[in-house]
Amino acid sequence: MKQTIYLAAINEALREELRRDEKVFVIGENVQQGTFGTTSGLVQEFGKDRIMDTSLAETAVAGAAIGAAMSGYRPVADMMFADFLYIAGDEILLKAGKWHFVHAGKVNVPVVVMAAMGGGMKIGAEHSMCPEALAMHSPGLKLAVPSTPYDAKGLLKTAIRDDNPVVFFYNKGLLGLPGEIPEEEYLIPFGKADIKREGSDVTVVAISRMVHLSLEVAEKLKNEISVEVVDPRTLEPLDIDTIIASVQKTGRCVIVDEDNKRCGVTAEIFAQIVENGFDYLDAPIQRVAAADTPIAAGFLEKHVLPQPEDIEKAIRKVME
Amino acid sequence: MKLGKEDLISLYRKMVRARKMDELTIRGLQEGKVLSFYHSNQGSEALSVGGAAVLKKTDYLWAHHRGHGIGALIGKGLDPKGFIAEHYGKVTGSCKGISGFHMAEPEDGILGAGGTIGYQFPLALGNGLAAKKAGKQQVVLACFGDGGSNRGTLHEAMNLASVWKLPIVWVCDNNGMAQYTPIKDTYPKEDIADLAAGYNMPGIVVDGLDIMAVYEAVYEAVERARKGDGPTLIEAKTARYRSHSEGSPDVSHTQTRSQEEIAELKKRDPVESFKEKLLNQGILTEEMVAAINREAEEEAAAAEKFGVESPPPDPSVIDNLVYR
Repeated sequence: MKQTIYLAAINEALREELRRDEKVFVIGENVQQGTFGTTSGLVQEFGKDRIMDTSLAETAVAGAAIGAAMSGYRPVADMMFADFLYIAGDEILLKAGKWHFVHAGKVNVPVVVMAAMGGGMKIGAEHSMCPEALAMHSPGLKLAVPSTPYDAKGLLKTAIRDDNPVVFFYNKGLLGLPGEIPEEEYLIPFGKADIKREGSDVTVVAISRMVHLSLEVAEKLKNEISVEVVDPRTLEPLDIDTIIASVQKTGRCVIVDEDNKRCGVTAEIFAQIVENGFDYLDAPIQRVAAADTPIAAGFLEKHVLPQPEDIEKAIRKVME
Repeated sequence: MKLGKEDLISLYRKMVRARKMDELTIRGLQEGKVLSFYHSNQGSEALSVGGAAVLKKTDYLWAHHRGHGIGALIGKGLDPKGFIAEHYGKVTGSCKGISGFHMAEPEDGILGAGGTIGYQFPLALGNGLAAKKAGKQQVVLACFGDGGSNRGTLHEAMNLASVWKLPIVWVCDNNGMAQYTPIKDTYPKEDIADLAAGYNMPGIVVDGLDIMAVYEAVYEAVERARKGDGPTLIEAKTARYRSHSEGSPDVSHTQTRSQEEIAELKKRDPVESFKEKLLNQGILTEEMVAAINREAEEEAAAAEKFGVESPPPDPSVIDNLVYR
């Protein structure tokens, strides 16, 4: 194993896949320099034809990647901020997601749409979102949401090799997160949740940066409550079996995500647990998610986004 | 570009076939055989057929919603049976009855069709980028209407296509009407081709009712793209004989388009005027015209029979189809 950080793990996944398959290329706004560092340094090895800077035009970025994917390439479109997916909704949601199906399987769209999501930088309503529900709701898009350097590298490599469109949301609040990854090559299959901490009293299903907040709370409460933290790692496909198995063991569940609460990821996971594991529950499920308001910037951000105190409160509530 | 006698007859035959298939689709909708809807191509055959006829099998083609790509399919040399069966919702359709009216024939460079006006600009950009990367001298013909030219996606895609010198020929079918709104009310100039100057590429206006003029303009632009000299924008001035969508009112804003106006448009019908020209030049005879018409009618009848007799898709065709 070797030490790395989250953004370097993403960078390494891209580098390895660019070396492995010449059909892979990276396209986006300022990807040569790299806004968040995830694509930095690649142009020196792979050149401008494979690490392509575009105009500041999201429909062109997404459309160029999707159109090239339909023509036999395996592009990674870097949309910069996850919020910007909305700009290219026609390309990503209506075309990449649907075209394999509506054209009876005659067309494949092996594209990765990569973007940084999440708060913590205090940069407000249009640069802090976690629009996971947007992708999860739209048929035809897979969705990976890694919380560690290990998961980020393994899931991104799998995403690039997938013959379907994959939305890969990395979290800008985790860019500098340290962690270990193997020296040798590895892939992580989609649809396999990872139990980030074992426990017996309550299941906390947590996503992306919320995994770390939940682990922090679990550690704080360890002498009172034994908390199990389950990280789905991909939301489509969703490993509901592992989540239900954990709920069956603990009988109690809290779901934590940074997307809006209303119609958000927590609502979908809540519904699936109730549909498939109602009898295992000893208490109503609690949800911790972003408030149903736009994300306020600066000092106010923490009043909108989930905080460790909110998670602790929810855990105590299900334990009552 | 000199078209030989056989080429000219072939173009005429394709236009007649496109017109017959269009008429068949309209009738199919009226008779309840077509399950979805239809946007007639009548008045625009010289462009849809003539533009596509320039392409090689390995070239890419993005049709737009007029005729749901029937002119382009026939122009590129495809059998229209799958088009009719798709409209009839049958499993023998181009997309097994799943898309309903959007064709996909990837083996012939037609990668699919979408339901949003102007969607093809960014996708054609990526298609052109891939064509350039692959280095096989393939060209992308990307068609859109005057209504589509109002989309912002046009700017994003034409801008980068020009910067990257991609092998794309942008073709605007300007029939003057965007659904129920005249283009003069949404675009401040006479010629959409003028947009090309902003992207440093040639902008060409062509008579879209004259298939030879269309063919020559597209041929030159395609050859230019194939050589690596970058994109061209061609605007063809065409006509729309019928309403935006079959069964919907044929209006300009709220005003019904007059019979006189439609009659005026039809005076220079692209199919009829090309026939007259070829008859005058002695390339066609009345007997040949009758034979071409009869063959086109037979083809339409066979396509209708094929569509009617084909089974509807079993619901299992959509099982496990969301992902590859």
